Amino acid sequence: MKRFSLSDLIVKRRSDSFGGIGPVPGSTLLLILIALYSFAPAHYPPALSHSNTGLHTTASENRTDALRSSYGGSSYGVQASAQEDEPEETITGTVYDAAGPMMDVAVSIKGSGVVTYTDENGNYAIDASIGDVLIFTYPGYETLEITVSNQTLIDVELTQSITQLEEAVINAGYYTVKDKEKTGSISRVTADEIGNQPIHNVLDALQGRVPGLEITPTTGLAGGGYTVKIRGQNSIAAGNEPLYIIDGVPYDMSSMGFKDISGGAVLPGGVINPLNTLNPDLIESIEILKDADATAIYGSRGANGVILISTKRDSSGKISFHVKSSHGIAEVTRLPKLLNTEQYLEMREEAFINDGVTEFPETAYDVNGIWDRNRYTDWQKTFLGNPAKTNQVELTISGGSKPTHFLIGGNFGNETTVFPNDYQYKRGSLYTNLHHQSKDERLGVQFSFNYGFDKNHLPGEDLTRIARILPPNAPALFDENGDLNWAESTWENPFAKLESQYKNQSRNFIANGVFNYRLTKGLNFKTNLGFTDSKLTESKTIPHTVYDPAYGADSGWSIFQRNSTTKDSWIMEPQLDYSTEWGKGVLSITAGASFQERNFYQMVENGRGFPDNQFIENLNAAEEVTVNRELSSQYRYLAFYGRLNYNHDGKYILNLTGRRDGSSRFGPGKKFANFGAAGAAWVFSKEGFMDNQTWLKFGKLRLSYGVSGNDQIADNQYLNTFSISQTQYDNALTLYPTRLFNPDYAWEKNKKLDLALEGSFRRDILSFEINYYRNRSGNQLVGSPLPGTTGFTIIQENWNATVENSGWEINLNSTIFKREKFNWNASFNLSFPNNKLLEFEGLDKSAYANRYLIGQPVTIVKLYHITGVDPETGVYTFEDYNGDGIINSLKDREYIVDLAPEYYGGLSNTIRYDNLQLQFLFQFVKKKGFNEYYGGYSPPGTMFNQPVGVLNHWQNPGDEADNQIYTSGYNYDAYLAYTRFETSNKVISDASFIRLKSLALTYTIPVKNKGFQSCTLSAQGYNLLTFTKYKGGDPEQSVASLPPLKRFTLGIELNF
Amino acid sequence: MKNILTPNNRILLLVLLLFFNLSCEDYLETDQPIGETAWENVFESESLATAAVNNLYAQLRDEVLVSGNFNGMGITMGLYADELDYYSYPGNPLESFYLHNITAGNNLVRSIWNTAYSLVYMSNSIIEGLSRSQSLDPSVRDQLTGEALFVRALCHFYLVNLYGDIPYITQTDYHNNQDVFKEDKAVVYQKLTEDLVLAKSYLTDAYPGAERIRANRLSVSAFLARVYLYNEQWEEAKAQAGEVIGYQSLYTLEQDLSEEFLKNSSSAILQLKPATEGQNTLEGAIMNFSYGPPFNVSLTSGLYNSMSDADLRKEFWITPVTDGDYTWYACSKYKETGNTGATLEYSILLRLSEQYLIRAEAHAQSGNLAAAAQDVNTIRQRAGLPEIFPATTQEMMDAILNERRWELFAEQGHRWFDLKRTGKANDVLSLIKPGWRPTDLVLPIPENEIAANPNLLPQNPGY
Repeated sequence: MKRFSLSDLIVKRRSDSFGGIGPVPGSTLLLILIALYSFAPAHYPPALSHSNTGLHTTASENRTDALRSSYGGSSYGVQASAQEDEPEETITGTVYDAAGPMMDVAVSIKGSGVVTYTDENGNYAIDASIGDVLIFTYPGYETLEITVSNQTLIDVELTQSITQLEEAVINAGYYTVKDKEKTGSISRVTADEIGNQPIHNVLDALQGRVPGLEITPTTGLAGGGYTVKIRGQNSIAAGNEPLYIIDGVPYDMSSMGFKDISGGAVLPGGVINPLNTLNPDLIESIEILKDADATAIYGSRGANGVILISTKRDSSGKISFHVKSSHGIAEVTRLPKLLNTEQYLEMREEAFINDGVTEFPETAYDVNGIWDRNRYTDWQKTFLGNPAKTNQVELTISGGSKPTHFLIGGNFGNETTVFPNDYQYKRGSLYTNLHHQSKDERLGVQFSFNYGFDKNHLPGEDLTRIARILPPNAPALFDENGDLNWAESTWENPFAKLESQYKNQSRNFIANGVFNYRLTKGLNFKTNLGFTDSKLTESKTIPHTVYDPAYGADSGWSIFQRNSTTKDSWIMEPQLDYSTEWGKGVLSITAGASFQERNFYQMVENGRGFPDNQFIENLNAAEEVTVNRELSSQYRYLAFYGRLNYNHDGKYILNLTGRRDGSSRFGPGKKFANFGAAGAAWVFSKEGFMDNQTWLKFGKLRLSYGVSGNDQIADNQYLNTFSISQTQYDNALTLYPTRLFNPDYAWEKNKKLDLALEGSFRRDILSFEINYYRNRSGNQLVGSPLPGTTGFTIIQENWNATVENSGWEINLNSTIFKREKFNWNASFNLSFPNNKLLEFEGLDKSAYANRYLIGQPVTIVKLYHITGVDPETGVYTFEDYNGDGIINSLKDREYIVDLAPEYYGGLSNTIRYDNLQLQFLFQFVKKKGFNEYYGGYSPPGTMFNQPVGVLNHWQNPGDEADNQIYTSGYNYDAYLAYTRFETSNKVISDASFIRLKSLALTYTIPVKNKGFQSCTLSAQGYNLLTFTKYKGGDPEQSVASLPPLKRFTLGIELNF
Repeated sequence: MKNILTPNNRILLLVLLLFFNLSCEDYLETDQPIGETAWENVFESESLATAAVNNLYAQLRDEVLVSGNFNGMGITMGLYADELDYYSYPGNPLESFYLHNITAGNNLVRSIWNTAYSLVYMSNSIIEGLSRSQSLDPSVRDQLTGEALFVRALCHFYLVNLYGDIPYITQTDYHNNQDVFKEDKAVVYQKLTEDLVLAKSYLTDAYPGAERIRANRLSVSAFLARVYLYNEQWEEAKAQAGEVIGYQSLYTLEQDLSEEFLKNSSSAILQLKPATEGQNTLEGAIMNFSYGPPFNVSLTSGLYNSMSDADLRKEFWITPVTDGDYTWYACSKYKETGNTGATLEYSILLRLSEQYLIRAEAHAQSGNLAAAAQDVNTIRQRAGLPEIFPATTQEMMDAILNERRWELFAEQGHRWFDLKRTGKANDVLSLIKPGWRPTDLVLPIPENEIAANPNLLPQNPGY
């Protein structure tokens, strides 16, 4: 029999080809081969030995021997044969627990394959002989064994195992708390839910899983950014990002990208999410802290919620290896439908006729015959229709013995793009976790580090926008010789843009040490030490070959830009914990301090003119090197925090937390502020009056109120300085005033109220959590827009404005089936967020007057209202809100649309049958969004392709149509109406959707091999299906950026 | 009870006390960001204060109003008038200048406004800073103050001619500047004239430095001549232009037209120097082309055909480009499109021939046709054209306007401002621009500006 050994793996790995796209597909194939080779055919399916019920009654000694030998030493038959002489009786009985009779309890006879299940009344019947051992098993309960004597009626009572849900412990950051005793609103997502998904960033896995958590990717490109909001938008203009903490180390999420290099063109806003380098599979659990009780201890940084990420550590103490590999393909989810050549040219011709232009202008190449009028190219397909390949592989080794455990691992993943050419995103990481506990269990030391890198190679510009606007009869990309076709300089060949390359490389290092020492009974000293070091290098090349050669540009024109940014931070948090029994309860006290520093340095250099484009990435070769900018900033942060918790018999729980925070981001006298919260919980199911009921297993009411803050603004905004400008004059540096001076701004404060009912019904058939929250964020820190006459467009100041976020969150978990072989768990979450601007002193006089309304959400847009198309002129008509006879942007953009979701949520299911498991998540969002017309395009009739919706348009006087008259740009009224159309109700559509967010089918190959734990094959999908009425492509797409991708991968996982 | 203060624990306690002993306010002191210096320091140092003033010129060169860039008047108002044809991307906000479908939401209209007022702020912050300076040499302080006043006036001059009534900003406090009202064109002219007169008083005839790249007293005179001309103050215009023309030790007409736009042109009164050695002008990089159709803009055939074939300016400053069927005209006043070993060309903000034409016009308007003819003929003669002696003021004015068109084409929107101030814009442009509307004489006040400060209402007519 072939046994699997580590040396096999190593040998095979070495012989694997590392060519092509990378080691990944090869290694997956290899792992599958190893798996098949190791398990079949010499292994007998273990199921056989269990299920052969006839065995113990018919087998003779000889037969048993024969079986024994062929089973390779297995002794399943032996016990059976020993019972040969005893006659069988039918045993009946009822199984119940504290709540009453239990259905679906497995009743089996030890050593045989005989299994039966209790019915809905808890009754069972099984044939057994005296001396047989009956085993009663039910997930979540202690297994009970009873030896059959001469009775035929056996009633049993099962008790819940204490390791179940009740004891589930939640990480609340500075302390941990049992799930059932928490006083705050904390959601938890575990590795089971995050794993098995073909994603590169863990944020992708959180979408739709957590009530109150809204995540939107800013681009479909791997390695991009996300918008993350917990319970809505609190701040009008300061940051709305939650605080991220990885293993106790706050992780600065500010992007290090420089917008001239990465922004707009490729990665929207230049945002690169630092979590990209953290392997999602390394994450053990994620806790999302939402209310004041949970977040006030994070003080100034807790206003937008906290996301705590805990990475995996070894717990088994047994050395084990984990290998996982997957690969697959990805493509764009949805694209808008655009005009074909015939429709497009009809539009153009009609436009010129409408405008009274009788001869096509010289530059109207698309219609005047310079370009082939019969050509058609689906540019979206050409530029965005290429399947991307995606691969991941990881290896972890963990183990240890009682005092010391370790986990070491690494991973690698890559994904190509849907663009033409070989663009690719790569990421990888190395990680280690060590923990040690002294023999007397007084000293605990933990150390972990995670070193992640990613590399992204992309075109200098996202091709999504050009694919949307390029006329469908634009010339061929290449001429007969395969060279770029410039069509006599009548167009900018979009493929030439691919000559421009964007590359980035980032490195993120996070190290964390926790030192724990029990001073005396109940008194612990703990210090959390953390360090992060991040580096981003990104560059963009614009070689002269992006230009039409007729321009005469040579490599002396070539440009190279490079941004090198580093960011490092450290944190030190000494903390004392004291816990003692006090009265009938337990009193816990925590006190600590937090010291933090973050340094940021950015240098952007430009090089121009290279002897040859081969050297374009080397500034040494540039004729001219200029420093575009060089800047640094420092942020320091100091806090004292404390917690007082009293838990009376697990029935009444009071939790007080507080923090005094100081931040260098504020000017003198404004640096410090206090934050705090009180939370209380009442476990009413433990009250005497609940004793006699059996349906409600657990019930809790909790309430919390408190204040947390927000200091998410740029550093040094209170300084009155001049800065060095990018450019020179008279061969010398030049200085400009950095900003308008205002040293008086201070903390934004968020007052949070939270009320929840939690409970679970008998045996966790259904557990629920219903949450109401109301957060009011006041003293708004605002980068207040100013008119240009002030010389600036923004000033940092506080406004007497309050934003309220309130809403309901519902979370349901249900165990639909719970049998030994068949399990079905479903969970459902639903959030109804509400946002409202409660007050805004001086709003009507401020620059925000045209943007916000008191009593309305801050996520609204104010738009013109198109009432139709004038049947005579064919031009849009607008509602004149103030009735002054003219349409103007100040008074007539009063059509209000809220872009925040009305509700959102997800439904996830895990169905397991024997070794087969199916997991899927449906995400749904009810919202409105910008449609395919929004995004700064040009009127139908100009040299821009259009969505097919424009075909329904005005042509002749008297026409009733959706869209107005075509114009090539000369019809001022129509042109003006179009610019208003771009900010009208017509660019808003229902963007609600239901999406099969993730789907994973896994099959665990049954293994009975000492040392080998499991082998799992999986098929995984992501964003596979989208149900929506939205026509503008993908409902989550940002304007002119690549829509999210759908992925399909196959994978294998080995644990041994 | 057991004493918990065992030796080990005492050490821990000590460590804890150390943590808490750090002074809070001190801990929160952070390093000054590199590349920034406190406001007060700037105006106590000659080199830093000069760097702040130099930034004004760099802004004019790269971004603001007179820049040779796409958002500069040379291109925007060249397209708006009858000087340039548009060949760049369709749908660009710049295209709206060419097609005359500008709306109040046009991004370029907004950025022209914002960058100009931003430069006004910079000038004001320099003026205020210098006024509070303790230790700066008074002669340096005067020179820098004069330059900042000049730039402030220049910005408002273009703003009032582009947008009509506008706020005149003379201080930095945003509390005051955020709700300002528009002022009458006449008031704006009065204020900018005062600023220029004051600037003159601060400046000397000598340029600071060896080149003509920062304003001296005569730069301000030259500009003031234009302001008076636009404001129809003929005598004052004559005087200012005369002062410059008379200063022959500094300024003489460059007789070789191919040298007019070189960095050491003797016609140049004020030039803007490229950022680094070897770089040349944005005008040259954007306007030249050697292959048709062009990439950005070309001179209109109307302009080309209006010029006499004998006109040397046609030969030296315009390059026809043909593909056999069609001919385009590149403006090649500046020849260099890229880098050269040493910089050859500087962007010219003020040059002597304009002063002759200003004086000619002022003479004509005040009835002295002979003097007018003399000045016009100085320019014509250099261009290889015969002398003219129009008999009436009207004919003389037409001749001067044509001469300005041929001499100053594609430079900072001269043509548009001439058509506008002489009342000819409607007649000329309605014939060649299908999108022309009589209200196009002024641009709209940017929509966002009105939203941010409703005191800027009413919007200009037509928008």
